[in-house]
Amino acid sequence: MSNSVMDLDKSALAVSRKRAKISVSQIVAYVFLGLLCVIWIIPVVFGITTSFRSQTEVVSTGFRLLPVNWIMDNYTAILENTSTAPIMRWLMNSIIIATSHTLLVVIVISITGYGYSRMQFKGRNIMFFTLLGISFFPGVVNLIPSYKIIDALGWVNTSWAMIIPGLAGMGNIFLVRQFMMGIPKDLDESAKVDGASHFRIYFSVILPLIKPVLIVCALFSFTGSWNDFLWPVIVYTDVDKMPVTAGLLLLQDIYGNYRMIGQLMGSAILAIIPTLALFLFAQKYFVQSINLNSGIKG
Amino acid sequence: MKKKLGALLTGVAVTASLLAGCGSSNANDPNTITFWTPLTGDDGAYMDNLVKEYNATNPAIKVKHVVTSDMYTKISTVLSSGKGVPDLAIIHADRVPGYVKQKQLEPMTTVMQAQPELKEANFLPQAWGAGNIDGTQYTIPLDIHSNVMYYNKDLLKKYGAESFLDDHNVTIDELLSLKGKLPADEYAVNDALMGWVLLGQIQNLGGDIQQDGKPAVNTPVMKQAIEDIKKINDAGLMTPFGEDGYLMFQSGKVLFSTDGTWSSTAHAKVEGLNFGVTNVYSASADKFTNRASSHMFAMFNNEKRTDEKEKGVASFLEFIRSHSVEWAKAGQIPASKEVVESADFKNYMQSFFTSDEKEIKSLYIYTYEYYPYIAEAVDKYVGDLIRGNVPIDETLQTMQKEVEDKIAESGGAAAKTDK
Amino acid sequence: MKKKLNLAPAFFVGPHLILFLVFVVIPTIYGIYVSFTQWNLAGSPNWVGFSNYSTILFDTSSTFHTQFFNGLKNTLLFVLFTVPPLIILPLAIAVALSHKKVKGKTFIQSVLYVPGLISISASALIFTLIFNKQLGITGNVFGSTIAWATHQPYAWITIIILTIWGGVGGNMIIYRASISGVSEELYESAELDGAGSIRKFFSITLPSINFPLIFTFVMTTAGAFNVFGQPLMMTDGGPQQSTSVLMMYIRQLAFGSGESIAGMASAMAVLLGLVILVISALQYYVMNRNSN
Repeated sequence: MSNSVMDLDKSALAVSRKRAKISVSQIVAYVFLGLLCVIWIIPVVFGITTSFRSQTEVVSTGFRLLPVNWIMDNYTAILENTSTAPIMRWLMNSIIIATSHTLLVVIVISITGYGYSRMQFKGRNIMFFTLLGISFFPGVVNLIPSYKIIDALGWVNTSWAMIIPGLAGMGNIFLVRQFMMGIPKDLDESAKVDGASHFRIYFSVILPLIKPVLIVCALFSFTGSWNDFLWPVIVYTDVDKMPVTAGLLLLQDIYGNYRMIGQLMGSAILAIIPTLALFLFAQKYFVQSINLNSGIKG
Repeated sequence: MKKKLGALLTGVAVTASLLAGCGSSNANDPNTITFWTPLTGDDGAYMDNLVKEYNATNPAIKVKHVVTSDMYTKISTVLSSGKGVPDLAIIHADRVPGYVKQKQLEPMTTVMQAQPELKEANFLPQAWGAGNIDGTQYTIPLDIHSNVMYYNKDLLKKYGAESFLDDHNVTIDELLSLKGKLPADEYAVNDALMGWVLLGQIQNLGGDIQQDGKPAVNTPVMKQAIEDIKKINDAGLMTPFGEDGYLMFQSGKVLFSTDGTWSSTAHAKVEGLNFGVTNVYSASADKFTNRASSHMFAMFNNEKRTDEKEKGVASFLEFIRSHSVEWAKAGQIPASKEVVESADFKNYMQSFFTSDEKEIKSLYIYTYEYYPYIAEAVDKYVGDLIRGNVPIDETLQTMQKEVEDKIAESGGAAAKTDK
Repeated sequence: MKKKLNLAPAFFVGPHLILFLVFVVIPTIYGIYVSFTQWNLAGSPNWVGFSNYSTILFDTSSTFHTQFFNGLKNTLLFVLFTVPPLIILPLAIAVALSHKKVKGKTFIQSVLYVPGLISISASALIFTLIFNKQLGITGNVFGSTIAWATHQPYAWITIIILTIWGGVGGNMIIYRASISGVSEELYESAELDGAGSIRKFFSITLPSINFPLIFTFVMTTAGAFNVFGQPLMMTDGGPQQSTSVLMMYIRQLAFGSGESIAGMASAMAVLLGLVILVISALQYYVMNRNSN
């Protein structure tokens, strides 16, 4: 009896100690994150609410986070102009382009990353870093030869021009390679002893382990492909085939930077809805913790 | 897991085949005139209306209007690959000499032969002239778009400044007379399109940006023009450096706004902004200038453009010449005399600039072949110059050198093109 | 048997290699070739050897020399101002979010990630309005009377704020993914040893995410060297070209309104590429060595 009382005491003490300790770091975390969220969200809210303001209100002095009169005019102006600006079609094009690009990226980077991290071949690291180094050269006039290549392939004005060239990127492969190098070597060594081929190890040992990072890469690729506006402007002439980011540029005026501020905000907000939706969906997965042991069986 | 990958690959294959289905378009369709413009936003919609109207007349060859947001880069890419060059394009006046020097433009000779009304006498002279290089006509003008000065009618009345407008020449001295009369948060004039304003003053003071084909940036006239504009700033009458003078005009805090013809459409959407338009203020009492540019129809070299197509282009341009009052909706001044003299056009605010010979003459288009380099240098330094942030003499030397260095570099490249 | 072993890597890295050759190597080589020429994007380039490079590097009276070094200086400043916060802040966020007792993680994460999705022109416009004296927060709420875009150090501050606001999300999710991969058992055993949050961070979290840390550091730096959108839209390079970054000069030379000066622009781009290469190699070397 006395024993159990003592136990209870002890555990109560432990609990209270633990709670006290956690609350300090917890408070720090909350204050820090709370503050950041407030700072981060104000411009977003301001941007969104500006899309519901008239030009008259945008230019009236004094700062107001929320509009005095909420108007839909900016959105109706964007959505109604369907002949020169078929925005729904652009969204559809973007979804097809970004999705196909992302699926291919995931395949290419995981296979290539495996090759550069878990396989042994002569000059592997030199080759990898040479490619990475080359990819660091800023391309400016490269636009001209890049266009000629796309033209030679017959991809001008087609989605291929948007889907394929980006697969050559090194950034995501670098990330995947870094992660794969962090996976203990003995995992695939033991699989190799069991007579597994490289493809088998890639597929059933490594792939499940790097799922979170692949989801991160997929997210980046999707967003990157979605937001690209320099390249599509060059490779598309057909308004109906354009992705949304390039299409929306057609709505902006050429003189100065802007004439109708609310409309620019409205179109920017319409364009982020799909990528935001994808993020909300994906964020469950990239923080999923992985149990290294179950990885092997999977 | 394997199933998933299988599904994934099938997905890719399906999307890929879907995409292949909507493959490349017929870029050189003999029955369509492909027409590229950099006219984004509402401007593109007005041009679309004109194209639709034209196509509704059932011409032999219809026009397909393609708006591109970065047209000049795109032009570079298609010219370099030689495929997909548009049949017709709209370019800005200051690009004409460069493209002609590079031998990229086809003269309008056959087009003008096909439609005899496409002639000098039917267009505003400076717009027509900007497309004429050494006696050859390379472009047909659509419009003149110009630097202008908007004024806030209510504020002018409030501060008794309406008299500034009477001779249509608001002088810098008149602006300076407002010194001390305005409250702290109101200003006489803003600094929108300052580079254009400065280049207009050069004309007012009897100068130019070139001498015998050589660039002339570092000149006494340039210095005087800067100093004259600087007086407005020093008197505290100009909107502060770095603040958005365009928005401040719309907020009703500025009497005069030096902006472009095209901004009238946006100003009109601001409730309670009671505004009019006049000439840009001048450093001289006897002359005023509105630095202008022009949207011009041009044909880039394209072997696949048949004679029939050129005839089609001609009839389209003739249609534009007689119907471009629609284009006035974009705030611009159509270049066709028939249109600017029509009763319809008088309803537009910018008709002020074609109301008499003196006004028409005030719309000044620079045609110097290296004008773009000078404009780049002016735009880069003008803000700091008129605010007194940099020494004028030294900065003008830097600008002169910058333009000369760029010309020397492009000259080397051009020598090769000529071979 | 041996042949089979040699073919396997080709299968894994080969497809990407082909894509890389076609879409990266060929255009890059062409870009390097152009840097040895005078070219206006039309006609064929005119070979001038090292003349562009010697003008840029040694001809102190040349505009291109002045522009290159001013641009490079401003680019380096941008890198110094933005890269450390873009590493430290996302890391701190990820660590705070990995706290077991913190609620609303998905919400917080989304709020911090959203700015990165907004197009640069729209986000620059948002901040231009926020920093506007009459219409924005700085003037009306904090009573600032300065036009931020035309006065230093405020011009830099606007650019940095916009960049950090839009940039933390990416690195944050990389760190989130990495930290979630760190075994719980490590933390639990450290807790048994009485380790506090700070010690756990330095002795477990940081070493465990070493590889992603190297990655983000190298890539964030390389990205920062290529900056041009933020200064172009916030300050247009001013005041007095103190925020004119190299990419702005390069782009104006190649795709400005005048005849293109693509050879000079390319030479500047190649030199910038070399700077990026040296700096990222150093970063990689130092960080990798420290981790071993």
